[in-house]
Amino acid sequence: MPDNAVSRPSLRSSVRSRGRKTAVVAPALVAVCAAVAAGCGTSTSPSAPQGDPNAPLEVWTRSQDSAAKVYTRIFEEFTKKTGQKVEYKAVFNDFDKQIQQRAANKDLPDLVITDTGSLGVFTQQGLVGEVDRASLAGAADVSERAWGNARTSDGKFHAVPWSTQATVTLIRKDWREKLGKPVPATHEQLLDLAKAFTSQDPDGNGQADTYGILAPATTDRGYTLWWASNFLWQGGGDVLKDSGNGKFQVAIDSPESQRSVEWIRGLFCDSKVMNPNALTLTTNDAHPLFETGKVGIYTTGPYMFSRFDKNLGKDKYEVIPAPRGPGGDTVLGEGEDMYIMAGSPNPAGQKKLVEFMLTPEVQQMGMKVQAGETPVVRLPVNKNVDVKTVLNDPRWDTTKQVYESAGRPFPAVPNFQPFRQKTSESLNKIFTCTTDTRAELGKLAGELTKELSTQGIKQ
Amino acid sequence: MTIGITGREATAVPGATRSARDGGITAPRRRRHWGRSLIPWAFLAPALLLFLYFKFIPMAEGIRLSLYKVQPFLGDIFVGMDNYAAVLDDTAFQEAAYHTVVLAFGQTFGSMVVGFFLALLLEGQAKSLWFVRSAVFLPVVAATAVVGEIWRVLYFPDPNGFLNEVLSWVGAGPSTFLDHPDTALTSVMMVGIWKHAPYDMVLILAGLAGIDREQYEASALDGTTVFQRLWYVTLPALRPVITILLTLAAIRGLRVFTEVYVLTGGGPAGATSVWMTTVFSRGFEKNDIGVASAASVMLFLVTFLLTVIVQVWRRAREAR
Repeated sequence: MPDNAVSRPSLRSSVRSRGRKTAVVAPALVAVCAAVAAGCGTSTSPSAPQGDPNAPLEVWTRSQDSAAKVYTRIFEEFTKKTGQKVEYKAVFNDFDKQIQQRAANKDLPDLVITDTGSLGVFTQQGLVGEVDRASLAGAADVSERAWGNARTSDGKFHAVPWSTQATVTLIRKDWREKLGKPVPATHEQLLDLAKAFTSQDPDGNGQADTYGILAPATTDRGYTLWWASNFLWQGGGDVLKDSGNGKFQVAIDSPESQRSVEWIRGLFCDSKVMNPNALTLTTNDAHPLFETGKVGIYTTGPYMFSRFDKNLGKDKYEVIPAPRGPGGDTVLGEGEDMYIMAGSPNPAGQKKLVEFMLTPEVQQMGMKVQAGETPVVRLPVNKNVDVKTVLNDPRWDTTKQVYESAGRPFPAVPNFQPFRQKTSESLNKIFTCTTDTRAELGKLAGELTKELSTQGIKQ
Repeated sequence: MTIGITGREATAVPGATRSARDGGITAPRRRRHWGRSLIPWAFLAPALLLFLYFKFIPMAEGIRLSLYKVQPFLGDIFVGMDNYAAVLDDTAFQEAAYHTVVLAFGQTFGSMVVGFFLALLLEGQAKSLWFVRSAVFLPVVAATAVVGEIWRVLYFPDPNGFLNEVLSWVGAGPSTFLDHPDTALTSVMMVGIWKHAPYDMVLILAGLAGIDREQYEASALDGTTVFQRLWYVTLPALRPVITILLTLAAIRGLRVFTEVYVLTGGGPAGATSVWMTTVFSRGFEKNDIGVASAASVMLFLVTFLLTVIVQVWRRAREAR
């Protein structure tokens, strides 16, 4: 409505005077021509001609500013060494969604660095092709375990590993010592500590304004499962069970899974030790709650050390392997892959960049960062790079040990994303304390079975 | 709506008046006449082109995609109406439709009631009122994403959260606000009302300014109370404004996305999922662009139908 009011008088006045008419028409026509040119420009040239060795490489990483600075250094080094130009863009919010938008336009970046979790989707949608390990220089230096992060369910490789990691547990050391609690080694001790953090005023401000465990458990991107998977596995449960020969069974409604989920639900509904906004919280909004002293226990990746050292203080928190549950101490151990995207005009450049990223020098560049920056290589994939000598930080040694002894990835189904999303939605519902766990898990199991059939991997 | 009205105006103004004065039309004149009637189109062309490129072509593409299983790099597969059937079958969409209607209804009426009282409070000519009115209008122009983040902080569901602190002064709360299925939708609605009420206020203010003061004086002479004046004089005079507001708000309400996405992402437990967040999640989280397109087309049809019904109804009323 308001725009009519504006456009009417202005149009009338410009048409009324004959003398001024041509003067006004000319810019209007210029604008029209410009619009036509711009329109055609983008619609008729979907991509540069195939096989252009000079085309700049467009690289996307899923990272925030603190990591983007490190990547920028790395890509500048690459350009300096090879003369190959790189157009780098760091995307954090809605990364996967923006990739899908670019895919819909058939105009993908040349190289994408993001979670191993995207492997299934990208492969299934044909956004990445098969990677020939043997033809990549330096591929032999990459550990077999890291290559596992790039292997799809058919046993082939559709990405190149870039960094690996395991989640570790961060605890407010000053709070714990003040309350005289031990470093938790079991779920019982963890719960006990979380209860103390919630009820015994660990920050000593006289108010009940602290919480035990921090969870970014929104359903967005399937974070609920991402967070809950550690506790689920440690309780002996699982989402899917590998029955061999590339076939899977649903395991989310097994007695062990039910027990695990009940235990996690208890954190929300019985002991109430969780941060109260957990179920709509994204990871990005979760970090400040740990930094500012709202919550005392946070399971996250080692990439947060540098930020928390700066904003909270290195002496205020400690890094421990996950406390053991009845089913063990398994944690999520995944990482990030380099995805060589389809439809690039410069495949030779893509290969050159990937090989460059695997070299020990670049892996180290990604690990060693300045204060406040986020390391973009967590645990190196190159066997010849040693965390201990590069970083000399016992917390990183802990991470490495956890990764080697207890880290496991999500199951290698063709595409885990629908499983993660559906499981997240159900768990999120259960954690609101309004539904029956058993019934909800039963319903979820039905949906997951259907998805197994859709992907053709049902046992 | 912009194109329709400006287009009609523009052709009427230069064409009609000048040809009448010029008298008989000869061949060169006709050409000039032609040129003249082209001018309005030249002015419209930039807008039309932009609309074509950014609205109509994407819309057509959306309709096409809704009939396919979309996989840009592997080739789309034609599936006919299957995507539409999938939308209708999906409980997520059914729940979302319900939440959308509830939210649209609550926000529309809430905004109108609050906007009406704001307008009554802030009607007048004084300079100070002008300032207050501008201040009150700020939520409308503030970026929704920013507003959402700030409200998330205000709503922090702990006894020390800002709003819970305020509630505790009057002995109420603490409330879980966005983080419990029972309170989440209402909390989102409140943010919507807070954001949209000032817009309604401005339109109602314009309506109030058009009411003849004599009607108030006459009714005061008849010995009416304030409430009676409001009911028998103000509200009937505002009827056209209210009709417009209702139409705009209802359509806007159905398309609600940003507030919900920023505040809750549709959670917890899907308690605030609305049609557009479900479309978004389906398209870009579950990578099912075909079904997402089908759902978008359905939303488009519903809003289109609503608009047509209201237009026809208004024409019929005006004709009477």
